[in-house]
Amino acid sequence: MHIRRAAAGASIAALLPFSGTALAQTAPAGDGNADLRQEIEEQKQRLLVLERKLELQQEAATAAAATAPRLTLNASRFQIGNTDNTNFIRFRGTLHADARTYGGESVPETADTFILRRVRPTIEGTFGGIYDFKFMPDFAGGRTVIVDAYAAARFNPAAVLTVGKFKPPVGLERLQSSADIRFIERALPTNLVPNRDLGVQVSGDLAGGAFSYAVGYFNGVPDGQSSDNLATPDVEVDTAGDYAARLFFQPFTNSDNFNLRGLGFGIGTTWVDVDGTAANTALAAYRSPGQQSVFSYRANTATGTTPNNATFADGERLRLAPQFYYYRGSFGILGEYTKVEQDVSRAVGGVTRSDTLQNSAWQTQFSWFLTGEDEAFRGFTPGSTFRPGKDGSGAWELVARYHELDIDDAAFEGGATSFANPLTAVSKATAYGVGVNWYPWNTVKLSLNYEQTEFEGGAATGDRADEKALLSRFAVNF
Amino acid sequence: MEHSNLKRRLLIALSAAVFIGGAGSAAQAAEVTLLNVSYDPTRELYTDFNKAFADYWKKKTGSTVKINQSHGGSGRQARSVIDGLAADVVTLALAADVDAIATNGRLLPVNWEERLPDHSAPYTSTIVFLVRKGNPKNIKDWGDLVKPGIGVITPNPKTSGGARWNYLAAWAWAKKQPGGSDATAKEFVKKLFKNVPVLDTGARGSTTTFAQRGIGDVAISWENEAWLATKELGPDKFEIVIPTISILAEPSVAVVDKVVLRRGTRVVAEEYLKYLYSPEGQEIAARNYYRPRNPQVAAKHAELFPKLDLVTIKEFGGWGKAQKEHFGDGGVFDQIYGK
Repeated sequence: MHIRRAAAGASIAALLPFSGTALAQTAPAGDGNADLRQEIEEQKQRLLVLERKLELQQEAATAAAATAPRLTLNASRFQIGNTDNTNFIRFRGTLHADARTYGGESVPETADTFILRRVRPTIEGTFGGIYDFKFMPDFAGGRTVIVDAYAAARFNPAAVLTVGKFKPPVGLERLQSSADIRFIERALPTNLVPNRDLGVQVSGDLAGGAFSYAVGYFNGVPDGQSSDNLATPDVEVDTAGDYAARLFFQPFTNSDNFNLRGLGFGIGTTWVDVDGTAANTALAAYRSPGQQSVFSYRANTATGTTPNNATFADGERLRLAPQFYYYRGSFGILGEYTKVEQDVSRAVGGVTRSDTLQNSAWQTQFSWFLTGEDEAFRGFTPGSTFRPGKDGSGAWELVARYHELDIDDAAFEGGATSFANPLTAVSKATAYGVGVNWYPWNTVKLSLNYEQTEFEGGAATGDRADEKALLSRFAVNF
Repeated sequence: MEHSNLKRRLLIALSAAVFIGGAGSAAQAAEVTLLNVSYDPTRELYTDFNKAFADYWKKKTGSTVKINQSHGGSGRQARSVIDGLAADVVTLALAADVDAIATNGRLLPVNWEERLPDHSAPYTSTIVFLVRKGNPKNIKDWGDLVKPGIGVITPNPKTSGGARWNYLAAWAWAKKQPGGSDATAKEFVKKLFKNVPVLDTGARGSTTTFAQRGIGDVAISWENEAWLATKELGPDKFEIVIPTISILAEPSVAVVDKVVLRRGTRVVAEEYLKYLYSPEGQEIAARNYYRPRNPQVAAKHAELFPKLDLVTIKEFGGWGKAQKEHFGDGGVFDQIYGK
């Protein structure tokens, strides 16, 4: 059956790649050059076939490139993933090599040291554009700990479920990554907020990031501690976990008002009714900016059959941490105040004393890029890189801060039955620090900090001597 | 005890937060989107059908549905779905490709054909020849395709569903010739593919090769694709030749269960496919040169679809057997092509 039919016109020509003209296939009858024409036509067909095969090869190569795994290896990223980044695994790393030198009398010369502060190879990734994971061990300090290990499901920007070990949403500088903090060590308020802990969190951004929230439930850790610091690492040490929440506002983040776009403020909090014991105190020591222990509650001094007389957490612990930052151009300021209300008890000689202690700390820090880069809470890009013999100085940044730690006076009351020993534990620390950061490459940072801290108490007579710490760091963060 | 209660309350609160987040997400997605992963020549069909279904769905539910389309060689499209392309529905050239998604990808049950009428093939087509105006090589039937000097355009059966129908139709014709057997059919198909200068990955690509690039003397084509080419380029350029024997091509449709479960789109996806069986859906199929199942719609468009002797896939033992024997690794096609 042979059908010839004129088809009706239509409007879908644009969808079709049909626009060419069919070729005449036969030579005119009676043409004496028919064989020659036939030969030409066959050669033409061969040429067309070759062209089409080449075209198909190019199409196949283009299609393959779109779906082939993409390896990204540049100055700051090592990643394997698909082209639209919905599935990828990224390899990252942090190496912080420090040198610490102390002047004055409060810290012995033996404390001067080189130290590997962080050695953290990291694997993180995303599956399906929704499900994230991060695994970050730390090999610094001659031990191996899992710093971060969590999975997250980004159902939408307003509802992200995170489960595993990560930072509870409380302290502002604690939430800033170790690569982004402007000083070598975080300020005194970080002593009072949790570090890493195991738990579950729901968080999200609303109104295009103008408002963010996070609520979570965690095993609970003492002030400033990670769950890997506990006597039995990474498990709950009592019967109660910490509730944690944080609200943060950046009301002008989407505004045209560039003077205010970098303003953010909020508050973080945790609460728990903790059942510490004299053997498992659920309390922590606090460190100076030079990373020396300057405050701790009384440890057990009993011997023989005398009951343990250490101070321990015995009731509610409430942390409040209002916080803010403001970045405009090459200038940045970050501030936070942290207060911890902690019920404590201590049993001495058959008498148990209990009280609610209120310890607090605050800081204000300033940062300024001499080389004009924009300051930000997370990340920045140097305006130039430094390579010997070539133009470019990298980014240079000056930083300064003032911070205080204030221990409740009630901690030292009671003489021999006090919760903390005034002869060894300071009641107040006041510190100021200055520093310079040089970023010769966007993954390399060299820092030099000088920090002087004055103390109240903490000595057999008078006050503990000032701490004068000169800290330096060679950091690689990628 | 108090702590246990607190934990329980917290978990409830967190669950509620996630639920609220999810609900917010759902509310935010007032416009539901579907992805229809289809084969090569259905672009025009589903452009028309999607618009009709969106109107129907809006009228029925008040909700807006947007259907995204993806087209390519049917086998390759099935592979993409197995590899993670989030198709809410697949509308592929043949059941074997949906079977692959069910068995290799485990994304839908193996009895998917039973979930819709006509074993989930809402329209059919067949295989015809598209030749140049005047039919200069005088091609009338399958036997003409293996003559020396005839350039035959057909896609690659490894990637194209239409190509597999083409191949099986040729096989069926050869086997029905006097003295025909599997051996003679194999030899015939081998000769036929020796006349194929270019193997495209899909049917639309083959049409481009033949119609736009001017390669070959005859394109073995879906009936709907042949009509479309004639329609778009005009009857002064191409003609359709109906062979004496062809095959009943039954493109298959299915909801991809794991995807609709994850995306929460099962109801609209199922309705989308059911609408293909409605008189409106059947009319759209017929207007795009697919043979409708609905007898009334088929009668209305009878002049478009001449009756001819059609074999079915059952004569090859079903798609499971045919796929493995002819198109699987080391199958007949691998044996004959390029040798």
